[in-house]
Amino acid sequence: MNDERLRLAFVGMHPTRRRLLLEKHGSARSVLGRIEQGAEKVPDHARRAAVVPAGDRREELTSAGIQVVFREDLPDHLASLPDAPDVLFVRGRLPFEQGVAVVGTRKATTYGLRLAEQFGHALAVAGWPVVSGLAKGVDGAAHRGAVAAGGVTVAVLGCGPDRWYPAMHRRLGESILEANGAVVSEYPPGTPPSGWRFPPRNRIISGLSAVSVVVEARRDGGALITAKSAIEHGREVLAVPGDVDRPTSEGCNLLIRDGAIPVLGAEDLVAAISLVLGPPATVAARTCSDLIALIEPIGRTVDWIVEQTRRPVGDVLADLARLETAGAIHWTNGLVVPGSRVGG
Amino acid sequence: MFASVTSVALVGVEPQPVRVEVHISSSKPCLTVVGLPDTAIREARDRVRAALASSGYALPGRRVTVNLAPADLPKEGSAYDLPIALAVLAAAGQVPAGVGHVVALGELALDGRVRPARGGLAAGLLAKHKALPCVVASESAAEATLAGCDRVFGVGSLAEAVSAALGELPDRPRLTLPAEDVAPEVDMAEIRGQMLAKRALEVAAAGGHHLLMWGPPGSGKTMLARALPGILPDLTEGEALDVAQVWSASGRGHPSRTRPPFRSPHHTATVAAMVGGGSGIPVPGEVSLAHRGVLFLDELGEFPANLLDALRQPLEDQRVTVARKGATVDFPAALQTVGATNPCPCGFMGDRLVACRCSVSQLDRYRRRLSGPIIDRFDLRVPVPRIDRPSLLGPPGESSEAVRARVASARRLQVDRGSLNSALRRDRLDVQVWESGARHLLERAFDLQEISGRGFDRIRRVARTVADLAGSEVVAEPHVAEALSYRGEWI
Repeated sequence: MNDERLRLAFVGMHPTRRRLLLEKHGSARSVLGRIEQGAEKVPDHARRAAVVPAGDRREELTSAGIQVVFREDLPDHLASLPDAPDVLFVRGRLPFEQGVAVVGTRKATTYGLRLAEQFGHALAVAGWPVVSGLAKGVDGAAHRGAVAAGGVTVAVLGCGPDRWYPAMHRRLGESILEANGAVVSEYPPGTPPSGWRFPPRNRIISGLSAVSVVVEARRDGGALITAKSAIEHGREVLAVPGDVDRPTSEGCNLLIRDGAIPVLGAEDLVAAISLVLGPPATVAARTCSDLIALIEPIGRTVDWIVEQTRRPVGDVLADLARLETAGAIHWTNGLVVPGSRVGG
Repeated sequence: MFASVTSVALVGVEPQPVRVEVHISSSKPCLTVVGLPDTAIREARDRVRAALASSGYALPGRRVTVNLAPADLPKEGSAYDLPIALAVLAAAGQVPAGVGHVVALGELALDGRVRPARGGLAAGLLAKHKALPCVVASESAAEATLAGCDRVFGVGSLAEAVSAALGELPDRPRLTLPAEDVAPEVDMAEIRGQMLAKRALEVAAAGGHHLLMWGPPGSGKTMLARALPGILPDLTEGEALDVAQVWSASGRGHPSRTRPPFRSPHHTATVAAMVGGGSGIPVPGEVSLAHRGVLFLDELGEFPANLLDALRQPLEDQRVTVARKGATVDFPAALQTVGATNPCPCGFMGDRLVACRCSVSQLDRYRRRLSGPIIDRFDLRVPVPRIDRPSLLGPPGESSEAVRARVASARRLQVDRGSLNSALRRDRLDVQVWESGARHLLERAFDLQEISGRGFDRIRRVARTVADLAGSEVVAEPHVAEALSYRGEWI
């Protein structure tokens, strides 16, 4: 049974079409049969892909380090959705807790990039997985912020899980995996990034998340698709307000007009999400950085940190600066305090 | 009936030769001084007359004209008494004319004794330059010797000065100045805790950066500042002479010959006292007295705005131009500034134990005063919080001597760059070798923290110094990261 579902997944058809076919014909086996008979028109390469035995596929996947997760094994918050993917290809470890989606335009302004990175960081520090699409702009910045905080982040791709798109995000993607995050896709390995494959993946982004945050979006941006599916899934949508005459903020402002909750900064974001997901777990338990754990929760003097770590003061200062650049700490009156200064 | 003696005037800190010419003509007895003399010089007439009489000479009963050439150079002070007296004696034929082949400087007492006058060092410099013997008050002899003049005669009286000028005194061996044993006022080891500030002091010393510290009263800012001279390398001979020249020009005793000076003017000082000035010919101010050393501005927030404005040029250009009626002169001011201030007028903002009592408008005023261009001059800014109790009980830290050794080797690396890192211009910064991680971190910090262009250069200069302290030719990511820690977002 699952063998047929896997073989069907390798056909790589549009997710909506596959879902409708499965609903209409009852099982993957019958859909595969119709493809072989030519009753369902698919490109030649897809037809050839459909007949490769599932055993061979499993070997391929195992050697590439890719896991197959069927719908019933997905986290409930994703599996329970009517348009949940039948099969998900996963690299790394897909977190079972609900995450927070941080999405936005690829052509972001520095304002958007800065906020996305801060958000990613603050969410990771709070212990919530950050879900996004690994695209240029806002997506990448959100992942980067989360990785910098040593947090878990999930990248949902619009191509096969074995490809990096955009190519410039290869290193970011690898760092996501190194930081115990996950890279997932419902498209089989080898699938190229075609434009039509991206809108469907947005429902997975929102599906993995309790809340979707739109940082910057154009009026017709893909991030609005994520927001739309979040609303359909009955999840909260938050948006960052922007200048009313700036194209990159038009989508966000529209969302706010239509009832999305405006986000007033990273601290505000964490507070709002706490209402949905409960208070953030303690940072000490979550972060890879011992230093942050040391500083929590009241803030410390440099003397104290140096004494505790028994490291040269210059090295400690360098680490603190790195954390500050990543928005994990800031200075207040000579004390090192957790959290970023801008917007909390 | 004419004779002349060489003396010296100070323009800024530079010695300028002054020829004291005396002409005696048969006319009604009188003594006049021309050549832009000030009141003190005009009064020289009476001192010279009395001193001559007391020493067994007589003022000729004829018309005596004294000219201080060049006539357009303003001169002041009592230092010309001695050369005037010598020239008068030579012109009157009471002593041989050979008495004029000296550089002479000194004030005369009515009983013929010679008192020290401002500019002993300048006299020594000029005498060395002109290869003449130098005749000064015995108290000024050490100063003149410091200039490198071989034949310095420290004299006690006018009669002795005459003998010295005529070469009748035996050539004295060059004065050897006693070796100095100067312990720094505050040793780094005495300061417990405050690791951030101590490390910042080390970086400041290594790169010659201006350093700003802020924190509540009693956190140790003053003590830290006083420790800075102790970790600066010894002055070279040339630097020591520079310092001595300024101090001599200001009429203060001579400073240490090996250790950098430390000046700590109060915030009620006048602009003239701070940058130099005075009514006639400008004298050096505190910024120049701190030349090659440390200027400590305690309670920077209390300094009036005009004083802070006046500090901008010297802090940027390492020299200060002072224009006065008498002359416009340049004084050197290659100094390191340490500023200390409270975070707010009451001093307790952000303190964990004591509540701040300042009103919002007070805070606003306070910050505005300090946020101006003067703050931009400080490459390093660090908070100095009140110290944790455990740190007070902890073991002593490193000694100033150990830190000084690191500072000295970091400074040696900067010699090839032509200036200390604090004075590196943008184009010189650009050509330093920046490791890619360092560049990346800089760009990130620039994007995230909204650092200004000037702030960007400041961080790069400090990073260069941190790399020098680590003995690295390449500026790497850890160096930039540490430099970012001294950026100290101002409150």
